[in-house]
Amino acid sequence: MGERMLLTGNHAAAHGARLSRVQVISAYPITPQTTIVEELSEMVASGRLQAKFLTVESEHSAMAACVGAAAAGARTYTATSGQGLALMHEMLHWAVGARLPVVLSNVTRAMAPGWSIWSEQTDFLSQRDVGWLMLFAENVQEAQDFVIWLYRVAEQVYLPGMVAMDAFILSHTSEPLIVHDQDRVDAYLPPFRPLYDLDPAEPRAYGGLVNRDHYYEMRFKMYENMERAGPLLAEAGREFGEVLGFPYAPVEPYMIDDADYVLVSAGAMTSNVRFAVRLLRERGIKVGLLRLVAFRPFPFEEVRRYLGGRAKVAVLDRNMSPGHSGIFAQEIRAALSQGAPPTDVYGYVLGIGGRDIRVETVVEAVEDLLARDHPERCLFVGVKGLPIGPVRPDAEVRPLEPLEAEASG
Amino acid sequence: MSDLSHVDRYPEIPVSLLASRGVLRTGEWRNMRPVARERRAPCSDACPAAVPVPRYLHLLAQGRLREAYETFTLRNPFPAITGRVCPHFCEAACNRDPYDGPLSIRALERYLGDAAAGLGLVGPEGETGKSVAVVGSGPAGLAAAYYLRRSGHRVVVYEKREKPGGLLRYGIPEYRLPEAVVDAEVARLGALGIEFRTGVALGPGMSLEALKEAHDAVVVATGAWEGRPMGMEGESLLEAGLEYLEQVARGHHTLPGRRCAVIGGGNTAMDVARVLRRLGGEVTVLYRRTAAEMPAIPEEVAAAARDGVRFEFLSLPRAAAKEAGALRLTVERMRLGEPDASGRARPEPTGETVDLEFDAVFKAVGERADLAPFPDAMRQEPGGWLAVGSDGSTADGAVFVAGDLATGPATVVEAIARGRRAADAVSARLGGGYDLPAWAAEESPDVVAPVEVNHAYFSRRARVEPSEVPPADRVGGILGEETAGIAAADALAEIERCFSCGYCNQCGTCFVFCPDAAITWDDGPVFDYDYCKGCGICSVECPGHVLLFVRERDDG
Amino acid sequence: MKWDIPLGEEIHPGNLGCQGCGGALAMRLALKALGPDTVAVIPACCWSIIDGAFPVHALKVPVFHTAFETAAVAASGIKAAKDVQGKATTVIAWAGDGGTFDIGIQALSGAAERNEDIIYACYDNEAYMNTGIQRSSSTPSGTWTTTTPDERPESRPKKNIMEIMAAHRIPYAATCTPAYPDDMLRKFRKAKSIKGTRFLHILSVCPPGWKMPSDRAIEVMRLAVQSRVFPLYEVEDGLAYTMSLWPTEPVPPEDYFRVQGRFRPLFEDPARLERIKAFVDQQWEILVRRHRRTHPDEAGIPAGEAAAR
Repeated sequence: MGERMLLTGNHAAAHGARLSRVQVISAYPITPQTTIVEELSEMVASGRLQAKFLTVESEHSAMAACVGAAAAGARTYTATSGQGLALMHEMLHWAVGARLPVVLSNVTRAMAPGWSIWSEQTDFLSQRDVGWLMLFAENVQEAQDFVIWLYRVAEQVYLPGMVAMDAFILSHTSEPLIVHDQDRVDAYLPPFRPLYDLDPAEPRAYGGLVNRDHYYEMRFKMYENMERAGPLLAEAGREFGEVLGFPYAPVEPYMIDDADYVLVSAGAMTSNVRFAVRLLRERGIKVGLLRLVAFRPFPFEEVRRYLGGRAKVAVLDRNMSPGHSGIFAQEIRAALSQGAPPTDVYGYVLGIGGRDIRVETVVEAVEDLLARDHPERCLFVGVKGLPIGPVRPDAEVRPLEPLEAEASG
Repeated sequence: MSDLSHVDRYPEIPVSLLASRGVLRTGEWRNMRPVARERRAPCSDACPAAVPVPRYLHLLAQGRLREAYETFTLRNPFPAITGRVCPHFCEAACNRDPYDGPLSIRALERYLGDAAAGLGLVGPEGETGKSVAVVGSGPAGLAAAYYLRRSGHRVVVYEKREKPGGLLRYGIPEYRLPEAVVDAEVARLGALGIEFRTGVALGPGMSLEALKEAHDAVVVATGAWEGRPMGMEGESLLEAGLEYLEQVARGHHTLPGRRCAVIGGGNTAMDVARVLRRLGGEVTVLYRRTAAEMPAIPEEVAAAARDGVRFEFLSLPRAAAKEAGALRLTVERMRLGEPDASGRARPEPTGETVDLEFDAVFKAVGERADLAPFPDAMRQEPGGWLAVGSDGSTADGAVFVAGDLATGPATVVEAIARGRRAADAVSARLGGGYDLPAWAAEESPDVVAPVEVNHAYFSRRARVEPSEVPPADRVGGILGEETAGIAAADALAEIERCFSCGYCNQCGTCFVFCPDAAITWDDGPVFDYDYCKGCGICSVECPGHVLLFVRERDDG
Repeated sequence: MKWDIPLGEEIHPGNLGCQGCGGALAMRLALKALGPDTVAVIPACCWSIIDGAFPVHALKVPVFHTAFETAAVAASGIKAAKDVQGKATTVIAWAGDGGTFDIGIQALSGAAERNEDIIYACYDNEAYMNTGIQRSSSTPSGTWTTTTPDERPESRPKKNIMEIMAAHRIPYAATCTPAYPDDMLRKFRKAKSIKGTRFLHILSVCPPGWKMPSDRAIEVMRLAVQSRVFPLYEVEDGLAYTMSLWPTEPVPPEDYFRVQGRFRPLFEDPARLERIKAFVDQQWEILVRRHRRTHPDEAGIPAGEAAAR
């Protein structure tokens, strides 16, 4: 039943790729993803993983190499973070249009400038509309398992998939996990059967010019397959439990049944949110949690079922879409607007640029939630000098005001 | 087009389902099209016999000797002869001349003739039952005899001398045209069933009328052998050059005196001078114009000079007198004036004379035909020249004339051409004939101009020149053949120099450069006009410009 | 047939290239050398169009269309997959000058530095032709394009992509042009026989972009070579230079320029024309020197060239 080990999230992700028997890996180093590719390089060099590793010169090229290799029929993997994911963006689209089930692990990282290597999910969520399956891992076990789970589903719908892992909180934190036995993983994940493999015996052109008469139909079919991925993901998650002992699902409710107030979160901060929920329950507040595991395809049904009709829903976003709100908040509101009983959704933005999301931070947010009598689109938590609240209507751009250096000596 | 009317018919990704062939008919873009149209090479055009030079050379290069020989002999049955003695108008006209020197066409022609020594000429398809007499067996008579026989007629050749060949045997020295070559051609004609009757001359013993009775038609090709009078004082003291050559040809290798003069600037003059030189004479050629105006083949003039023949240009003998066992020749110095009818500068007297002393003086200033056998009815005017059509026809429907008798003194190749044309005219009258291959039946009169050749495909390279056989090695001794044939490798290399003007020699350049894969190759280009976009590359690149580029609907 | 060229085609008739397209011809010839067990990787370039629109395809080998800047690395990925699968398929990246000199140079440099086992062919028509004739870093000095108009034609010399590739010390780099098919096929065959990154720089005429009649397409490429504007040579391991063709008769660069309307500004600026001619001479002499250094004992250098120092 696997081997119990103590690993960082990054090393766990590398094991996920290894156990998936990836054939081609192409990656470019970026903090805090680097230890994934270091570990994979080690695995390939030592022969523990029979794969080609292309140490390319950029993330754009990393994804292009994966696209090429997948088009030729190989199972391909890459990992990146922040700026790297942004640079890949064009090729993320390519993998979708070419229907190539590449899997990547993204260590979520705040975007520059200023340079930040710390956790924030905006890099990942900026890829919302390209058409990848998108999962949020919460712990080291999932950092490994979601890679395997994604291949299983991605290769059925011929769409790529990415896993978000919070920078450092997950990537560099060691936790115990079960590293599965290869034969069990093999039982779960069959070999990749590509749609096409660039076989000269059957020469075709792939991804060429398409005029207005034809493009729409192929994009429609792609969309249909993304929809299909929802139930497949749920089914494959259940089966993961049966075969490998860890059942997964697109959402994960916690203390939700009788909750009047439900918090929504995704990724590693969920662990602290869960702790906060327990604390608040001890204080008699009927609060619960809905963790979003899958972001794409979006779990509409589950969201409506678990959140519809609650007194208040607070979405905790470690990301934001300027000019709108936290990205999860948008999505939750949109999901609840169709077929769910009226539900007030309060959007909270927190933890931007790797700012800690402590249990107390969550508790403060819930206290704010309880105090409010109508929902706010976007409430900022923990901005220095400001209470939790929306942006100020009189905000202005101010000229530079140099800091006074402290007198030395 | 596959049915893409429903989304379910679509593949998951834009993957091609069809080859462009049959779908994208890019030929619809075209407003010009390439067409292969063979035209005349300037060499063929300049050749009196219209030998299709690029065509036979291409066959030769491919090792298709028999086809090369048959292609050649459709127009000229004697490549081994003209390959030795022809003044090669072809080379003067060759489009390669201004580039890096003309193709060595005559040497290649001789190569063909010699290589084909073992092959027979194409004979008749069937018999017409008609009989034709050919009088005279020089180049015109032999050529006429061949094409008459090929046309299916019975042919009898009447020859005054003891052996057939006429001028070829008796007028051209052995070192230029070995008798054995003539014998071989005569034998080849004999093998086709042509009958030779020698020792019979047109005249009192055998009249034209008698021949007309015995045969359905008569072709007379008795040549021009009579020396032309110069009208100078003491002319009887001079010897006739052509007679001297005949005497030598019969084996009388005698030198009439040590110091010899030859008067004239034509081929006979050169032949006489060089024979004399070979027999040990000190030879001076006297010519009334300059080297540039000499009608002789330039190579022969140059060879004579190499032999040690001296030239006195602008020199016209005015009188000859015997003096103390020698001949004193009074020569007037000339100067060049305005061009005459031949286009050459006219010699004008200066009044200045000089006396020169010789032991023997030969006249080689041109010959004329013996017209005695022909009635006035066949002449342009009573006692005048014969009235002859371009096909050799005369006022007498049964009598045709060819060779020097028809044209006045000319070249062997012109005589051959005349012989063929007379034979064809006879067949037009009597019936019979021979099949022409498509190229000959459809031959275009357009001549390819030098600017039409794409020189990019030809690197400059000196032409192959035939070498001289060292005197000691010459077959037949001092008078033996002087010029060696070229080696096979040299012949092939030289053929590569041929621009192949207007003739598709299957080089493949059009195929190679088609950006649209609209030319397929089947021993030559096949255009797929469904896909040819009309870019024009093939036409511009075609080395010999066989591919013309014409407007659509013009059809060229 | 005087040409040593396979009669079989790896391309169907009916491609969407313009009349006289050098790129279409170059592909046709290249594939004759490479044969059917080949995958072509094509980034954004004229060939994105030439191959045909869905559901039609002109080539008889698989074509993987990829993003503009990714030809070299997408090809590397495909080759990696073929390797893992134990297949010996030749993978060729086929890109224009924009996709090579400009937007694709990073991925190309990366692939070359890693010595990926791919052939990279750049069919260079010296501007962004597919988008309507805008300058690229391959556009030579004095050229009109829509972004270097007559009033301010291209002012910088063409980027020397061969020196850049040679600097990567890849096993094989060569220039060629379809005007010399024997040379081009030889180089593609040679490239096929070598492992590692092989780079072929193909001068490829674009009649509409070069503002010239299509029927002179071959002639103009030939003039480029004969005038020494585009010398044909090979570089092995980045250091060993071998000239492939010594032009036999001097052709002044003006003869090459004059055929093309895009060089019209040159003829209104005699000083620039002179500078460009001097530049052509200088570049040529550099190559001759490198050839001589590679082949110190060679007697085959034409007399005129031997004098070059």
